[in-house]
Amino acid sequence: MADEENSPELNPEKITPEQNDVHADRAKPTTKMSLLQWMEITVSEPEKRTNASMKMQDTYIVYLIETRVTDENMKGYSDGATSLWRRYSEFELLKNYLETTYPTIIIPPLPEKKATYTWQNAPTDKFDPEFIERRRAALEVFLLRIASHTILSTDKIFMGFMQQDSGWKDAVYSTDFQSKAESKLKAISASFRLRKPDRRFEEVKNYANELQTNISNILKYRARMADKLYAIHKVHGNYARVFGEWSCIEKDMSEPLQSAGHYMDVLASSIDPMLEEEEHFADQLKEYLAFSDSLRSVCRKYECVQYDLERADDNLSAKAKERDLLVQGKSPGTFSLSGVKSKLFGSDTPEQRELKIKQLEEQIKQAEIELKQATQETQLHVQSALKDIERFKRQKTKDLQEIFTNYAIMQIKQCKKGIAIWTSAKDCFVKM
Amino acid sequence: MAEETATPHSVKDDAELDSSPTKAADENVKFRDPLLSGFDRESDDDGMESLDLNASIKSDQTVSRSSSLIANFKLDEDADAETKDLFIVVDDPEKHTSTLESYITFRVQTKTNRSEFDGAELSVRRRYNDFLWLRQRLEETYCTHLVPPLPAKHSLKRLDRFSPEFLRVREGALQKFLTRLADHPVLSFDKNLFVFLTAKAWEFQAHKKQGSGIFSRVTDSLHNMGASYMMKNRPPEFVVMHEYIQTFGEKLGVMDRISQRILKESTEYLTELTEWAPCFMLWANSEDKLKASLLAMSKNIEECCKELKDMIDSTEDDFAQPLKEYILYTESVKGVLRRRDAMQMEYDMIVEELAKKKEEREQIKTSDQTYSIGAFLGKDPEDVKETKREKLEQQLVDLTQQMDMLNDRLVVANADLKADMERWHINKQRDMKEIFLNMAERNIQYYERCLEKWENTVRDIHPRNENAEDGIIVSS
Repeated sequence: MADEENSPELNPEKITPEQNDVHADRAKPTTKMSLLQWMEITVSEPEKRTNASMKMQDTYIVYLIETRVTDENMKGYSDGATSLWRRYSEFELLKNYLETTYPTIIIPPLPEKKATYTWQNAPTDKFDPEFIERRRAALEVFLLRIASHTILSTDKIFMGFMQQDSGWKDAVYSTDFQSKAESKLKAISASFRLRKPDRRFEEVKNYANELQTNISNILKYRARMADKLYAIHKVHGNYARVFGEWSCIEKDMSEPLQSAGHYMDVLASSIDPMLEEEEHFADQLKEYLAFSDSLRSVCRKYECVQYDLERADDNLSAKAKERDLLVQGKSPGTFSLSGVKSKLFGSDTPEQRELKIKQLEEQIKQAEIELKQATQETQLHVQSALKDIERFKRQKTKDLQEIFTNYAIMQIKQCKKGIAIWTSAKDCFVKM
Repeated sequence: MAEETATPHSVKDDAELDSSPTKAADENVKFRDPLLSGFDRESDDDGMESLDLNASIKSDQTVSRSSSLIANFKLDEDADAETKDLFIVVDDPEKHTSTLESYITFRVQTKTNRSEFDGAELSVRRRYNDFLWLRQRLEETYCTHLVPPLPAKHSLKRLDRFSPEFLRVREGALQKFLTRLADHPVLSFDKNLFVFLTAKAWEFQAHKKQGSGIFSRVTDSLHNMGASYMMKNRPPEFVVMHEYIQTFGEKLGVMDRISQRILKESTEYLTELTEWAPCFMLWANSEDKLKASLLAMSKNIEECCKELKDMIDSTEDDFAQPLKEYILYTESVKGVLRRRDAMQMEYDMIVEELAKKKEEREQIKTSDQTYSIGAFLGKDPEDVKETKREKLEQQLVDLTQQMDMLNDRLVVANADLKADMERWHINKQRDMKEIFLNMAERNIQYYERCLEKWENTVRDIHPRNENAEDGIIVSS
């Protein structure tokens, strides 16, 4: 995982999740550091497909993935756009592949499978057009994040996902990435049995947990608030009706009442687009909620690597100790296997001992090499992981600041709308 | 016979009492006091012509009502503003504790040019029960005038009756009550009101004790009768009033329920919002570069909570409460309309009775008493006839007297009520306008304040020392 970056600050990983179309990067002219700088990627046009399989109907949604080279210097510029269809499960396959293949990178998360933190009017059915639309947007962000990562964007399978219509799945499986995946058992052992875990990863793990809790709480209350806000606005609509009925028995007040009633209706229906916009805010937070899983995943992978290192170290120590004992002529302890063997079958002859010592020397040499390798690998792993974690942190700060800013702007818009509606209503009341 | 069944309405026609009060001032010359003009119907009825005008001016009640008629018709739309000469202020609640109970008194200050108030004590202290007493006496004395309502005895929110919130709302309602009385051309001159405004504590207590049981019983019975009687002859303007008040009361009730629901949802929304702010603060604890932004969000949400709470509280006080008061007011108007109906019913019954007796008298003339009970007992049939005829004549005289009295009363009541209703409509329009203007203004203010706060937050999310400027694309 050689690094080609000059310095972190020039990382062109500024994607803007709010926009559906990301155009080629404007700033950095010299080194093309990520795919996004010279390629345009879009996810669009969700469509329903049905597979008549033996058991039952399998209905699912596919999304259109299009790419287009935007830099005339890059290969493929004159080829025009590519397009193919992918479904959610294929995105999952891609993600799993990337996770296993790049254990030191924080892989972007996929949108949720089922709707969470919903309120009364939010769509929960996965075939609901609103839900599908939000999912489409999130899938696009997923691809854009990968494309903007210096390392991930160069992956062939990723490119194939976007451009290789047939045979992609075979290509993925042929990389045999599944075998590289750490077994769950090993991961659990690793997390418990490390002797010298790197403090920094402990901190990242704790941070990930806190992030998850914090965002969960925010999403929980937001959903409840959406509920109440919806009710408040809709109930105001009842004023429209009663004003209309009241205006029938009045003379001077009749017209102003009816006009005011109209504005109460406007108020009631104004909440729908507002809450739809707010769902977008919730989706962005949900992405970061899922990122906490990615963070933990990277930490787990470090723990496995560290576990392997410590085991290699233990192995070497054990072998060395055994050799030392043999050399010193001491018989191994009564409770070791060799001890039992010698008790039962008698001790080794000097020739046998020599042989054993030689064997051990070989094994020790091997173990030393292995330990050196493991140490090196672990070092590289740690370096790479920590670097990506730093990248993530910077991205996260930027993203979240933008998310909050957009939320504030949304609230400002809502307030302005409220002022406008009530001012109109007030103008009606003045004429009463 | 048709004339006798004519409602007092016909009299009013002649007297042009239908003209709106605004025209009355100019048309004073056309005004004819129905009590003096007599009954200008073509009547060949001897009994009617023997009407003793003085007989109808019997009680104090009628006198005050006739003067009220005149007073009512001098009223024009801006009467309140131009001729307002009685100003009352209610303020300064104070707690009193005695061995038996504790209660609150309010200071009632009067400012006026009226001569009868000369030298009178113009600042007194009164408690809620005193207001209740006053209202009761006014209702009894002027049973066909609209007496403004008082606030409910107990708070709907079950507030402590000594809490400043409760007292503030009550003080406002009592103030409105007295202001409406002061603006009323008849009620404001009431003796009991005068005592209420001026008497010292012990004087006032003594005055209160003077009973008025008779009147309350009369009002009740009238009330009950009116409720069960099917109004056939109700004059069209009162039909309109009845229907209006019915529907208006209904609509007020609907609006009250809507506002209660909104308040409930708003309060729950506030609860959630209050829980939301600390979420951001907690998050800030685990962040470094993001700390400032998160704290900015948290602080802002807290401030929006304050604004929301203010709005909820003032909606309760300035919208929900006045609405409820108007519902009470509507109920009391209905009561007065019913009392008027009762009076009309009494009158109608007498008229029917009178017609029946006249019918009988005619029949007697041509009847044959040979088979009557009197003849059976040995009397001369002619004598029996004569006796019966005399008895009937006397009954006719009595009934006619009664009818006249009831007619007077009804005419006056109708005039009072009509004038009061017109005034009530004007006030209602003004009050409703104020209530709803306030509601709109309150909402506007709330949104304006929140807008300001969010604008500040946008600034605070990106502190200047971060070079976060590059790459931030803020979507429009």
